[in-house]
Amino acid sequence: MKRAIAAIIGRELKRMVRQRGRLVAAMIRPLVWLFIIGSGFQALVEGGGQGHYKQFMVPGLLCMVLLFGAMLAALSLVYDKESGVMRMLVIAPFSHYWIVLARILSAAIAAIFQALLLVVVLISFRLFGLDYFGLPANLSLSALGLVLTSLTCATTGMLIAVHSKTLDNFAVIMNFVIFPMFFLSGALYPLEHLPPILKAFALVNPFSYGVDLMKHSILRDVPANFSADLNVGTDIAVMAAYITLGTIVACLRFSQVSVREKLAKALSGSRRA
Amino acid sequence: MNAAPAPAPAVTTIQARGLRKCYGDHVAVAGLDLDIAEGEFFGLLGRNGSGKTTTLHMLSTLIRPTSGTASVAGEDILARPVAVRARIGLVFQESALDRSLSVEENLQFAGALYDLPPALVRRRTDELLKLFDLGSKRRVAVGALSGGMRRALDIARGVLHRPRVLFLDEPTIGLDVINRRAIWRFLARLRQEQGVTVVLTTHYLEEAVDCDRVVFMSHGKIIGSGKPVELIRSLATSILEITADDAASIIARLKPILGDCIQDADHVQFRVRDGTATLADWQRQLPPVHALALREPDLNDVYVWMNHGAGGTPA
Repeated sequence: MKRAIAAIIGRELKRMVRQRGRLVAAMIRPLVWLFIIGSGFQALVEGGGQGHYKQFMVPGLLCMVLLFGAMLAALSLVYDKESGVMRMLVIAPFSHYWIVLARILSAAIAAIFQALLLVVVLISFRLFGLDYFGLPANLSLSALGLVLTSLTCATTGMLIAVHSKTLDNFAVIMNFVIFPMFFLSGALYPLEHLPPILKAFALVNPFSYGVDLMKHSILRDVPANFSADLNVGTDIAVMAAYITLGTIVACLRFSQVSVREKLAKALSGSRRA
Repeated sequence: MNAAPAPAPAVTTIQARGLRKCYGDHVAVAGLDLDIAEGEFFGLLGRNGSGKTTTLHMLSTLIRPTSGTASVAGEDILARPVAVRARIGLVFQESALDRSLSVEENLQFAGALYDLPPALVRRRTDELLKLFDLGSKRRVAVGALSGGMRRALDIARGVLHRPRVLFLDEPTIGLDVINRRAIWRFLARLRQEQGVTVVLTTHYLEEAVDCDRVVFMSHGKIIGSGKPVELIRSLATSILEITADDAASIIARLKPILGDCIQDADHVQFRVRDGTATLADWQRQLPPVHALALREPDLNDVYVWMNHGAGGTPA
């Protein structure tokens, strides 16, 4: 099983590196936020006597890379349902829930790879005097944050993927899942200033806990109102519980007889009219 | 003089009893019994929708039968599906390859899924690419291969882990005649070298003539079975095909001599069991017609006449 999982992860990484466009887009997206939205907001908050907005954004933007990277990789399972690779996977000698587990893992790893690439880009900005990212406050907590947040996003993507037949509604997923998860997470502003109803939404959003954990682990020397909102233990516990439960639900769903039969039909060839 | 020893009873690799699959009210496979011997080259023939693919999917554990049981390579498909999948190879109608990876990478990926050590995968990749004439394509992306090469690679992928049974679902569908011949040649080589039991479905019935045994399926049931050569021989020595405006009078004239016929509008066909009469002989007996042909029967004819006998619609 180890060889199979390693191969599935290896394939995901190979595809990511070969699809340069995907990788470049994954880097440009957060930088656009950092330089355009970040500059605007920084000017706004500096007017109120506060600096550091761009530094504050960094944990959120790293999480954004994880969110897009992991969600898109996990959602590609929907395309793969009719692909050659899925045929190879369903006839391989292991239970079908391993397909879900391996895909969650490979999506998370691909996302972490992208986040680390962004770290390299941000560090390289220091050469030009742009000090957005320094040594994180807590390195091992950052690593844990990357792992848990990417798994949280990959699990969410997989939960959607195993329940949807096609990705015709991809724009819907983008607009009603990915963007709300990002906006209502504390990535762009501290949660404590949100109106109660939005704050409640943010607290139901598992991604918020990832952003919060990353703030704990990365931010140092920021003003109190820019610091993390929640408790480290809560962040870890909520994400661990969500990943466990979400993975179980996705595995059960994918192993359901009705789902398997639909999959077998989709895989058996469309040439027969 | 001693009597020759009795041939050893063939070992059964696939045994199905009452295999049945329903989708709601639709009965896709209606209680199938099958016994396929080790090393046999077995054909599951029939038209689209006759239940061939569903049968293959049940035997390869992709779908569960509604009722009935089967064992494949000594393992029960319901109790030990993973063990069954470890012992079989399945080549789908559509490619089971990753188009973004190269020929070699696809085989490496497939090998890893079967937990084969990389060195073994390399060795078998060399052997299989040679066997299927793909040696020069090793580093080519699968998306850039021709349809025939892709199918050959797909079969190589299906036997990389040396399965005891290889299931092939319409292995030549969508290929031109040259590539179809190449695929059959590869399969013959593969059977010769590895002695694998091959179970294939096809609706190009004439292509299954090299099978050791075939069963014909229609509406989820087996309507006939046997060795292709014997089935063809017992059907007729030749098939007489006539196209004429006045088909009825042709039938009236020939039915007493040749027996039953199959009519489709102005086209009529008869079975000729006496092989001595030539086309010219028949021409002399008939009024002028649009077309007249005397040809050898093939498995298509066997199927058409079987369906005719079973009250089905002719082709």
